Amino acid sequence: MRRKRNLVACSIAAAALTLGVAACGGSDSNDSGDSGASAGDAVTVYSSLPLQGASRPTGLAIQNGIELAFKQAGNKAGDVNVKFVPLDDATVQAGQWTPEAESANAKKAAQDDSAVAYLGTYNSGAAAISIPILNEAGMAMLSPGNTAVGLTSDAPGADTEAGEPDIYYPDGKRNYARIVPKDTVQGAALAKLMDQDGCKVAGIMHDNEVYGEGLANNVASAGESFDYEVVSAGAVDTKAANYRAAAESLGQKGVDCFVYGGITASNAVQLYKDVAAAIPGVKMYGPDGVADSDFSEGLPTKVAAATKVTVPTLSEDEYGPEGAKFYKQYEAKYGKAEPFAIYGYEAGKLMLDVIARADDPTDRQSVIDAMFATADRDSILGKYSIDENGDTTLTDYGVYTIDGDGQVVFDQTISAK
Amino acid sequence: MLAGSRASTATLIAFLLVMPVSFGIHDLSTDGSLAHLGNNLVDGLSNGAIWALVALGYTLVYGIIELINFAHGDVFMIGSFVALAVFGTLGLGLATAVPLLIGGLLLTLAISAVASGTLNTMIERAGYRPLRDAPRLAPLITAVGFSFILQNVGLLWLGGSQQSVPDLISSQHELFNLGGVSVTNGDALAVLATAPLVLTLVFFITRTRLGKAMRATAQDPDAARLMGINVDTTISLTFLIGGLLAGAAGLIYALYQTTIWFNQGFTAGLIAFTAAVMGGIGNLRGAVLGGLLIGCIQQISDNRIGAEWTPAIVFAYLVLIMVVRPRGLLGEETREAG
Repeated sequence: MRRKRNLVACSIAAAALTLGVAACGGSDSNDSGDSGASAGDAVTVYSSLPLQGASRPTGLAIQNGIELAFKQAGNKAGDVNVKFVPLDDATVQAGQWTPEAESANAKKAAQDDSAVAYLGTYNSGAAAISIPILNEAGMAMLSPGNTAVGLTSDAPGADTEAGEPDIYYPDGKRNYARIVPKDTVQGAALAKLMDQDGCKVAGIMHDNEVYGEGLANNVASAGESFDYEVVSAGAVDTKAANYRAAAESLGQKGVDCFVYGGITASNAVQLYKDVAAAIPGVKMYGPDGVADSDFSEGLPTKVAAATKVTVPTLSEDEYGPEGAKFYKQYEAKYGKAEPFAIYGYEAGKLMLDVIARADDPTDRQSVIDAMFATADRDSILGKYSIDENGDTTLTDYGVYTIDGDGQVVFDQTISAK
Repeated sequence: MLAGSRASTATLIAFLLVMPVSFGIHDLSTDGSLAHLGNNLVDGLSNGAIWALVALGYTLVYGIIELINFAHGDVFMIGSFVALAVFGTLGLGLATAVPLLIGGLLLTLAISAVASGTLNTMIERAGYRPLRDAPRLAPLITAVGFSFILQNVGLLWLGGSQQSVPDLISSQHELFNLGGVSVTNGDALAVLATAPLVLTLVFFITRTRLGKAMRATAQDPDAARLMGINVDTTISLTFLIGGLLAGAAGLIYALYQTTIWFNQGFTAGLIAFTAAVMGGIGNLRGAVLGGLLIGCIQQISDNRIGAEWTPAIVFAYLVLIMVVRPRGLLGEETREAG
């Protein structure tokens, strides 16, 4: 019996020792990561996007867009060879991004001496986890999909987490930028769209996540400047079997237009079905978080016909010849482009440009400086700059309807200015 | 002692009635009718009927072998998935003629129930029976293991996203309206399909020889064995019945919600187990009562208080019920409870 106990004790000690060694190794690696890459003229760029669950179509489209941009450039930024390493921040079990996966991805990139940039995330909640990790590692992060306001500024809608945005930058310096307009812009676009559609009472719910709650706040805030009444109905339990009673409650408050601040994986399809059933004739709106095929194809035809979604992506025609070329090449290689594919492509192109412009492409801080020095860039998305907070100066949003086959179809451009 | 028991029962009843009575008074003072509350209760009863069917599986198994079968919610999920597959195989869609639709749905009910029943029986045979005399933790962890295995089967089957099911019964279409209280096709299906299943189960358990064997095994397996009852077969039968009900609930859920996904069993299992405990674990009537009660609490909370508070309110009710009546509303019917 005593021998058994000794064996168990030894096993525990060995396991603890192993973990300790591993932890020390990790620490060493992290320390060397802080000093920047030094692998000659070869650097690595990571991406972290959701490749499982409802966000997979969008995550994959962004990843494909990045990959296409890198391949077109021969995996080179100027004279520097650039290796692209795509990572998945979602798990099959969760059906969406998870904090654990995102954290592991950010740490992996931070600990890779050759890594100089991190492209992602799609979900703002995931960015809230990886920005501080990469900030401490002094690595540039460029998002083609995050729209939550608080990631970059304390503008209205940034109150979902206390202390935003400073809590994301423990180092005190900025390392994060994005090429999609933030949710003050999207919220204003949705609010303006509802006014345009003649809404009288706008009901707003959210999924209690960084992105969803922030967006809901932005829509509510922007909606106050219009003639319709705004009913902020709080959060939903994203694991609930249905939302019939919550939807009936909206109907009882006279809601004739509905907006959900959330993503498809937050049980959006069930919510839209229940709202449509509870409020005959309701007009429904969704943000870019539901602009994917899982959502549009999951809605019954009648519900889809009553739904519009906003996406930073505009009509293909508005991107000119370069846009037409992109869509042709993308669709030849990967099939139909989801709305966010072009943002993945531009994120890839911008990062290659940033690395080429950096004083020392292998130095992480140089890459961050070059990213924030982006000004009046002529891109496939139009001319834009990255401001001191890391936000893009683009402000237009595309409004999409859903056709009978469950495909999102461009309807109009709406400017939040 | 008796006075104390009466006082606690009165407290419990008063506590359970707080929400409906206060909202009822509010409705009368503002709308002049109880239609709003009536709608909440109809939604609650129909949702609760589905939870009750799943809860019966938990309570049956716990009653007979005192095992929390964590895989039961996932057996229910597989029932939904089988139903969707059968819809596709039979070609049931929105354009299907009513007689064909009814026939198809009855066939789907049979197939889903048999599939889930067989699955549950196989789990018992492969995983739980060999652990009959093992420490309690062993079958418990095995049940958790089966739960994860089935979730992964669901993942491989239909992927990680919510899947829309054809709205074959126009679930949220109003069937009739009684004084402002709307009853939808989905409400009618949930209640009318659940009631006969529950009544048949109660009849089977209380009036048939096999049912008596199940009750005898639940009370004292050794004595039951001495009386010539094949305990292993009786336990397998219990799992079969629980699985049949879970499969039926899976179909009803798919038709009622029109959305299914691999993780639905986890949520449903948690709610159903809570319902079983709330009503008194091992007690069939308790499981049904618990399911209906939770359904009503959920709908009233979603509609009146806010959907984000619903899980907390449901479990607050559970905690308070447990404090006042530790053996559940109708009392446990297990060997432990005597």
